[in-house]
Amino acid sequence: MLRTKAVDGAAIKQAIEGRDGKMLASFYADDAVVRVIDRNNPPSKPRDVRGRQAIATFWDDICSRAMTHQVDTTIAEGSRLAFTQACAYPDGTRVFCAAILELSDGLIVRQTVVQAWDE
Amino acid sequence: MLETRYARSGNLHIAYQVVGQGALDLVLVPGFISNLELNWEDPGYSRLLKRLSAFSRVIQFDKRGTGLSDPVDAAALPDIEARMDDVRAVMDAAGSGRAAILGVSEGVPMAILFAAACPERTRALILYGGYAHFKSSVMDETALEQFMGVLDAGWGSGATLKSFAPRLVNDKRFAPWWARFERLSASPAAAISLARMNAAIDVRGALPAVNVPTLLIHRCNDAHVSPDGSRYLKARIAGARLVEIPGSDHPVWTGDVDRIADEVEEFLTGARPVTEADRVLAALLVARIDGAERLASRLGDRAWSKCTEDFQAAAFTAAERLGARCLRWDGDRLVARFDGPARAARTALALRDAGAALGLALAQGVHVGEIEIGGETMTGLAVQVTERIAGLAGSGEIMASSLVGELSAGSGLHFAARGVMEVEGRSHPLEIVLVVAEQHLEPAVPKKGPGPSLAVLTAREREILARVADGMSNPAIAAMLALSEHTVKRHVANILTKLDLGSRAAAAAFSAGQKDR
Repeated sequence: MLRTKAVDGAAIKQAIEGRDGKMLASFYADDAVVRVIDRNNPPSKPRDVRGRQAIATFWDDICSRAMTHQVDTTIAEGSRLAFTQACAYPDGTRVFCAAILELSDGLIVRQTVVQAWDE
Repeated sequence: MLETRYARSGNLHIAYQVVGQGALDLVLVPGFISNLELNWEDPGYSRLLKRLSAFSRVIQFDKRGTGLSDPVDAAALPDIEARMDDVRAVMDAAGSGRAAILGVSEGVPMAILFAAACPERTRALILYGGYAHFKSSVMDETALEQFMGVLDAGWGSGATLKSFAPRLVNDKRFAPWWARFERLSASPAAAISLARMNAAIDVRGALPAVNVPTLLIHRCNDAHVSPDGSRYLKARIAGARLVEIPGSDHPVWTGDVDRIADEVEEFLTGARPVTEADRVLAALLVARIDGAERLASRLGDRAWSKCTEDFQAAAFTAAERLGARCLRWDGDRLVARFDGPARAARTALALRDAGAALGLALAQGVHVGEIEIGGETMTGLAVQVTERIAGLAGSGEIMASSLVGELSAGSGLHFAARGVMEVEGRSHPLEIVLVVAEQHLEPAVPKKGPGPSLAVLTAREREILARVADGMSNPAIAAMLALSEHTVKRHVANILTKLDLGSRAAAAAFSAGQKDR
């Protein structure tokens, strides 16, 4: 396994801001689910990314973008973790996400992301 | 309204838009012409973009010389390689390091060159309605010269629609939109140069260099580019998969756009989308012009097209007044959706009258069932069953499934049993009834009177009616019969009064119908 770090706020911040998709993928359990809710994927029809393989592709795609990410306001409570993320594309378009994570045996098993962006 | 931005490609500004915020980037490389802002006005286009942007960040742009991007000297258009730089410039501006490239039509060769030149920036290729060599897949020299003639004479009037989606030429909404689309996407000179440049496209040599996962999509009866174009690509791009889907429209945003979005989504995300379309219970009406082919050949193209246009306008007005939720015109038939079966049946009665006023006889079917609605489309078994019920109806008749009768109790409509129809997947056959309007002072079955007859006309009037049916104008008839134009005009007015018809086109249709008897 690639994992070299405990999954905590600091590790997530470093991996996201460093656009390290491989590192991010290593934080998830095999059967983890990332659920995305946004304007195009409303609460009654959210987008689910299931399994570490798909989640690895998900982060790989996001990390291939020439954009900046800033992770802030990390909150940890028992096996739950939350953070906000402010991102910007080179043309000035901004994205803002809030994420809540559930950990089990030190790995993310469930993550819900709510995001909004300039359009 | 989405923000339109500009990317710098050399000295030129390339207009682009970014839609959605899915994890992967999807660059849409347009075909012949495009206009970012106008495209959104088309419901099919916005439906397609809505579907694609649910799982990706769609980056779309207008090629240099088209739409909202900088114009280029029409006499010296850049070649396809130079245009490829526009893809790169737009990706850079939008911060896309790596993207799936969706090339449509003429955008396909461009996407192929991009994938061959920049594999590190190409996550995957999706090529819709494409080809590698224009002259062998799209038009030969003769067809090209003919097309160039159409461009030169009719650019901006929607003249090219018949080359791209002949099914929609008589569509009241789409045809005028297409004319605007021509005008707002390229000037006449730019369109001509673009077409010339496209005609020179040959990227066959680049195919072996494409080394990314590739999905080809082609509609089986594509009116503009033969599916052979994609078959050729499949044979020469390593590992490419080809999906041939039903349909004849060439533009990617017309026809069944959900099917296209499904294929793209499955290919890129690995997951077939859970059917997005909503299933609703609906009352459906199919109104078909009876003997359309025969009438069309009798009347000639122009009179026939005028006749169907008049009918389409009258039918849409009547159907909307009676509560139609969704309307579609398919060449010689109207397909409409209603909330309740009585509304659908009443509309059928109104359409029968509207058709009769124009000299057209309709055969109609009404049915109730679950359909899938997505944007402007209505699909599902129930739609096909309604078509078949309409197929059972004779001239002037309205047939319905017995469900319509059962659900219309209390509506004042009456129904008479007319046997059964087998439907695949149903355990027992569907009972069919004939719709009969309630008429207090007349027999329950509509009077099948002889209607107006040629016998009411004088010999001279009959002679003139025959000329009208041939599509001749009043001055031409006057010259032929050695009468004054005023006299001919008076005769035509008398003919319309005696036959109780509203227009020359209706008289022509009536005359054609008489000849058939």
